[in-house]
Amino acid sequence: MKKRRKETLWAYLTSAPSLILILLIVVFPILYTGYISFTNMNVYHWFDFSFIGTENYKRALFVFDSGFLGALLATILWTIVNMVLQLVIAFVLASLLNIQNFKFRRVYKTLLMFPWAMPGYVSILLWKTGMFNSQFGLLNQWMEKLGLEAQRWLATDVSAFICCTVVNLWLALPFMIMIVDGALQSVDKSCYENAILDGANWVQRTIYLTIPSIKPIIAPSVIITVFTTFKQFDVIYLLTQQVGAKTGSNLHTILTYAYENAFVTNNYGYSSAVSIIIFVMLIAFSLLTRKRLREGE
Amino acid sequence: MKRWLAILLIVCLVTTLFVGCSQPEEISDGTVTITIWHDKEEEVAAVLQTELERLEPDIVVKLERKDGLTEALKLVGNDPKAAPDMYFFAHDKLGVYAEMGILAPISDFIDATALEAYLPMTIEAATYKGEIYQLPLYFETLLYMYNRRYMKDDKVPKTTEELYEYMRKTTVGGHYGFVEQHSTAYYSAGWIHAFGGYIINEEGQPGLDSKETIAALEYHKKFVEYMPSEGEYATVNTLFREAKAHSTIGGPWLVPTIRESGIDLGLAPMPVVNETGKAIAPYSGVQGLHVLKVAAGKKHDAIIKVLQQLTGDEVGIAIAKASGCAPAKLSCYDDPDVAKDLMVMSMYETAQNAVPMPNIPEMDVMWTVTENLLVDINMSGKDVTESAKAAQKKALDLIASMK
Repeated sequence: MKKRRKETLWAYLTSAPSLILILLIVVFPILYTGYISFTNMNVYHWFDFSFIGTENYKRALFVFDSGFLGALLATILWTIVNMVLQLVIAFVLASLLNIQNFKFRRVYKTLLMFPWAMPGYVSILLWKTGMFNSQFGLLNQWMEKLGLEAQRWLATDVSAFICCTVVNLWLALPFMIMIVDGALQSVDKSCYENAILDGANWVQRTIYLTIPSIKPIIAPSVIITVFTTFKQFDVIYLLTQQVGAKTGSNLHTILTYAYENAFVTNNYGYSSAVSIIIFVMLIAFSLLTRKRLREGE
Repeated sequence: MKRWLAILLIVCLVTTLFVGCSQPEEISDGTVTITIWHDKEEEVAAVLQTELERLEPDIVVKLERKDGLTEALKLVGNDPKAAPDMYFFAHDKLGVYAEMGILAPISDFIDATALEAYLPMTIEAATYKGEIYQLPLYFETLLYMYNRRYMKDDKVPKTTEELYEYMRKTTVGGHYGFVEQHSTAYYSAGWIHAFGGYIINEEGQPGLDSKETIAALEYHKKFVEYMPSEGEYATVNTLFREAKAHSTIGGPWLVPTIRESGIDLGLAPMPVVNETGKAIAPYSGVQGLHVLKVAAGKKHDAIIKVLQQLTGDEVGIAIAKASGCAPAKLSCYDDPDVAKDLMVMSMYETAQNAVPMPNIPEMDVMWTVTENLLVDINMSGKDVTESAKAAQKKALDLIASMK
């Protein structure tokens, strides 16, 4: 009993620095944002701010106007489309990588992981100027070669949504491929042999054996990806909304919308209230996703 | 063994945590150290450093390059342990810092009469609510640039209608007569000012739906039709550098890369708008030194000496020679080398019409609102008046949200 208590104490002691670190860099900023959201901290009351109750929350609800509703719907659509495409493409590619006696598997794997090695900011701007730019972009050069008219790929909401999705897939697929690939490798090969002996074809093996086997393994990464896709900022902002380089599309996620309508005001109390409301939305969305995934198990 | 390794790792983690929170040591042998944050290019920093080394050994000035300077000042601007004593930056943020209460007026350190020797535009830029918060050193503004391969010196458009005619004739087959960042607030402001309009005035009142601004946006639109739809920095500058655009409006920071690309660069005064008789009047950014309140009391005398050292002509002339920036002090233009420098003198000429970027805090929200308005008009083809009214309402809402 004494030994057990000693071991528990030792475990807490060794993990204490990490827990303190997490408290400092994760929990404290959230709590502090919550505190600031109840104050009038802005340019005019930077250091002498005071408690103003729920005033900022009342004002924050004005940000959630029809524009915000559109951005929220776009964000949900964005998350669903990206998640579905990521899962399907990652599954297909990982399945191809797991074909027996597949040559150069490691080379392909490395190539597929390559986008992950590049900083997201660089990748996004490379796509913007290298692919989608109407003057110099590769897409319009191909269009020109084919005798077609040059397009403004990021100018309308629909085309910008498609372009942003392509870039997001490029950035996010390596992670999902790696997870699905690992999950596929963990499936017992003898199960496949039995299935083949029972006369199951590829589709049946996939539906009744592969997917149920890998589901518990990929579920956490799906939750993580849903979370990161829902709160996406950089892809949409850098491709379409960057100050000095706007493209004409009015595509917004809730974060880019909140940035343009609250964060630019330098009103930290007000912006914090908006952040906390979005934070609550994200938590709710994540809980919903987890519940759905559990129900599906 | 494992246990010792774990303890060692814990010690390392905790040590690195607290090392980050430590403070640099103060020199205590009578020497006063002045720390200046900046985000300028090496040439400018080197000139400043050389000039300020003349104050040694009594005063040691440390110039520290700081990325994200504006945000860092918001966080630590009133913290005596973390804030610098002074910072070197453009004037447009000084209203924000003055309202935050972290800036000390320059007039607390140098005699106001010393500032009479400066270009009025630069002092106007340094002034917020009647107080001067910046010692101006140099300024930047946009220039009309042309490729002499296509546009001869005597054929450079002097008016906007001449420019329009030139664009109509020469914009063909992937070539453009004139390009600019047509849908960004900084570049469009010049056209708006030429019509007597404004983005925001000194009182913090947006002017996006004023009849002058609407007239300017309406007039500017016809020029945009002969420019590439994407008017952002990379596209516009690449077109000019690759000799696909005959002329452009750009900042002096582009000149080195344009010359490296082998373009025979010409600089000319801004075209005059035919309808108003006024030249395109772009924004100017005045770079200079600001004093933080945290240092104003305890290092008062040293700050006076630093500022006095930088009020001489030498530093302005040296910066002009090193990086082609236009000095803020009028007497610097008497120097023969400065007077011969085409780029510096072009900026000096443009400065006669240039409007200092607003330094009021409200301007922070105007960049995005104005750009959205320009995108709606120039890229999405929306009605000018309706868009301007909507943008004005948005600007007022956001300004109200600042308080």
